[in-house]
Amino acid sequence: LKENAMQQFVTISLDGAKVRAAKGNTVLDTALAYGTCIPHLCYVPNLSSLGACRLCIVEVVSNGRAKVTTSCTLDVQEGMVVVTNSDKVRRLRRNIAEMLVAEAPNSKALQCLAVRCGVEEVRYPFRNKDCVLCGRCVRACGEMWRAKAIGFVGRGRQRRVSFPFGVKPAFCKMCLSCVDLCPMTITPCGGPMKPGEEHLCGKCESQLTMNRDFPDTCVQCNLGRGFGCTRAVVV
Amino acid sequence: LALQSAPLSSPDELAALRQALVARRKTTGSSVTMCGGTGCQASGCLAVVEAVKAGLVRQGLAESVVLRVSGCHGFCEQGPLMLIEPGNIFYCHISPDDAGEIVSRTVAQGEVIERLLYTDPVSGEKVPTEAQIPFYAAQDRVLLGQNKRLDPTSIEDYILDGGYAALAKVLAQANPEQVIQQIKASGLRGRGGGGFPTGQKWEACRAAADGRGKYVICNADEGDPGAYMDRSILEGNPHGVLEGMLIGAYAIGAGQGWIYVRNEYPLAVKHARIAVEQARRYGLLGENILGSGFSFDVEIARGAGAFVCGESTALMASLEGKVGEPVPKDVHTVERGLWGRPSNLNNVETWANVPGIINHGAAWFAARGTPASTGTKVFALTGRVKNTGLVEIPLGTSLRTIVFDIGGGASDGGKVKAVQTGGPSGGCLPVRKFNLQVDFDTLTKAGSMVGSGGMVVMDERTCMVDVAKYFLKFLQDESCGKCVPCRVGIDRMLEIVTDITEGRGRPEQLDLLEELGETVAETSLCALGKTAPNPVLSTLRYFRDEYHAHIEQGRCPAGVCRALIRYTINAEACTGCGACRQACPHGAISGKKKEPHAINPEVCTRCGICRDTCKLGAVAVL
Repeated sequence: LKENAMQQFVTISLDGAKVRAAKGNTVLDTALAYGTCIPHLCYVPNLSSLGACRLCIVEVVSNGRAKVTTSCTLDVQEGMVVVTNSDKVRRLRRNIAEMLVAEAPNSKALQCLAVRCGVEEVRYPFRNKDCVLCGRCVRACGEMWRAKAIGFVGRGRQRRVSFPFGVKPAFCKMCLSCVDLCPMTITPCGGPMKPGEEHLCGKCESQLTMNRDFPDTCVQCNLGRGFGCTRAVVV
Repeated sequence: LALQSAPLSSPDELAALRQALVARRKTTGSSVTMCGGTGCQASGCLAVVEAVKAGLVRQGLAESVVLRVSGCHGFCEQGPLMLIEPGNIFYCHISPDDAGEIVSRTVAQGEVIERLLYTDPVSGEKVPTEAQIPFYAAQDRVLLGQNKRLDPTSIEDYILDGGYAALAKVLAQANPEQVIQQIKASGLRGRGGGGFPTGQKWEACRAAADGRGKYVICNADEGDPGAYMDRSILEGNPHGVLEGMLIGAYAIGAGQGWIYVRNEYPLAVKHARIAVEQARRYGLLGENILGSGFSFDVEIARGAGAFVCGESTALMASLEGKVGEPVPKDVHTVERGLWGRPSNLNNVETWANVPGIINHGAAWFAARGTPASTGTKVFALTGRVKNTGLVEIPLGTSLRTIVFDIGGGASDGGKVKAVQTGGPSGGCLPVRKFNLQVDFDTLTKAGSMVGSGGMVVMDERTCMVDVAKYFLKFLQDESCGKCVPCRVGIDRMLEIVTDITEGRGRPEQLDLLEELGETVAETSLCALGKTAPNPVLSTLRYFRDEYHAHIEQGRCPAGVCRALIRYTINAEACTGCGACRQACPHGAISGKKKEPHAINPEVCTRCGICRDTCKLGAVAVL
């Protein structure tokens, strides 16, 4: 959380609690700082918010109407009413996590996220992709190192991460920040799943209680370490 | 011959120019107006124009008769179209060979050529004048009606028709707040699909902090399959759009405008460019417009054909030279848009409505339509309907009026089953819902939307599951792929719907489709994803029995889904003529002459050519 002497603050309602939030921070920053668990994937502290994975959705209530939006792109405002874990948000979040794990079941991060978001079965055929286009690598390369050696190429189903014109440029110094941040580099605990054998692992038995009725607050779960939860990294 | 050489420097000069133009027009009597919209150009109107021109010269009428190539008249199916004044004579399906006769008989002597008149497909009778054609008579053509009076490449035609009077009025009499009040009072709502109140948007943009200037943008990136309202307005009346933008820019306090138009609309790009150039030359764009101290200029930007660039934030990214991808709208574009500055984006049709509101007043505009959805709206009526074309009706008109009174009902003796409104993001409404009013709120409540105004009529030969599949395929192709619900969700919905059309569907997939639809609609980043499930959800809502027939009985009631149908020849009706055997590209039909033929289902690819070939109706779909 960014703080300094000149910092201005606003008060928002976070799951019914009145909390003080630094102006200029996002709802996700604030919620995580207060220990409210909002699962997230494409968000990385100090990088710009992309709003691509849509896991960090919350409900924002104004004029009696609730709107679903991503908390990583939403700046706090005085009097804002945010609900992070309503039944609807959980259901939508679970459906997104289910889609993600069906895309790339060979990622421990996504398997952990799926458990954390309450996925109990995957109703789609698995696809075993190598990338879910979270864009962590692209932003780390472009924003942390100002290198822009990789970027998104193509549209829709053809969208992928690639070098400019498909050739590794000289200004890529192989710093591997992209690999560090990639959620796809660690396989599920049981090892890589072969094509045709993909499944929802759900093996973290200690976490299985969360599966059905997971808590709103951060319990610094091991799952968070698995998917690079900001809080798990910071703590 | 241009009457004006120097830029106009005051509203009085504009009025004087108009009077001079009126005086000149009085010396000519009759006029021949040829529709030069893209539809008529495709059916060869330019050759007809050349032939008519030659005919006029031959008859010595070139001086006294005005030959005008106008924008789209809307009745594209009947093209090339011609309107001859005096007499309001309407000719359709004209070929260059008819030109000589038209000039010598109709233009020179006022005779009507029976053969070229429009035949009403319902009554079968010839209709002599345009005003009597049911397609036109049932409409209220406030915007499109201007097209036939204007040559879109001539600013003088537009000024003669009262053009830029609204701008002069605003600059001379109103202050920006009054203009906004008037637009708010008119109840004008965005014509691009969202239906957001235009006045409210302008007000928010005017109120936004202005450090480095503001922008107004005209969204002409229309990309819905089968919709071409905006194209026809920009092609046929580019000055009307420009005037609307000028008034908007004055009200908001913007100094620069953009028209973002698809490069696939070459005629619209060309006409918009000519219009901007002419307006600059006449002092209607640039510094100190009409001596008011207000300065404004417009640039044309061409879109490269990405459907998602019709979304406001993606359009602005594209204008900035970035990849056309939407960004979250937690801060509205009226506060932080193009290059981080307050930007007001409206659709072509919205801008084109503005001059009329200023000229005739907010009450005049609000008199049409319903209290919550005022004014008229242009729809592109296409599909299995007798009269296809552009239709302008007051909002609140029932679907029945549009499809049956204006559209003339189903074509080819079919029976109308449904209408799909709002383009790929809209929904399908069944014929039992045709009493619904077409306005923003009613259609949204019914699970569809007004959208930008596409309207596709479907009959019983249309499979609704196949329709859902078609639109999902379109949206999957056009999704930018940035966010998960849109990229993966639409892909998964398409996967499931494809399974259903190919006979692999399972009953529980229908619930999954609905749940997935809700997730995509609620959580997608931009409006493309948020509305993408509409075709699936609305067909599930109104045509669930068709889904069940596919899944549980393994049949396609409309006979469309190839994996579920089988072609057979009715032995009693077949005379053994052999036409189908010769037409079949796969050699799947066999039989002796004058004996009933048979189709080998192993070889048959279910293309349906045999059914189209058979004159006896002996080929049936099972």
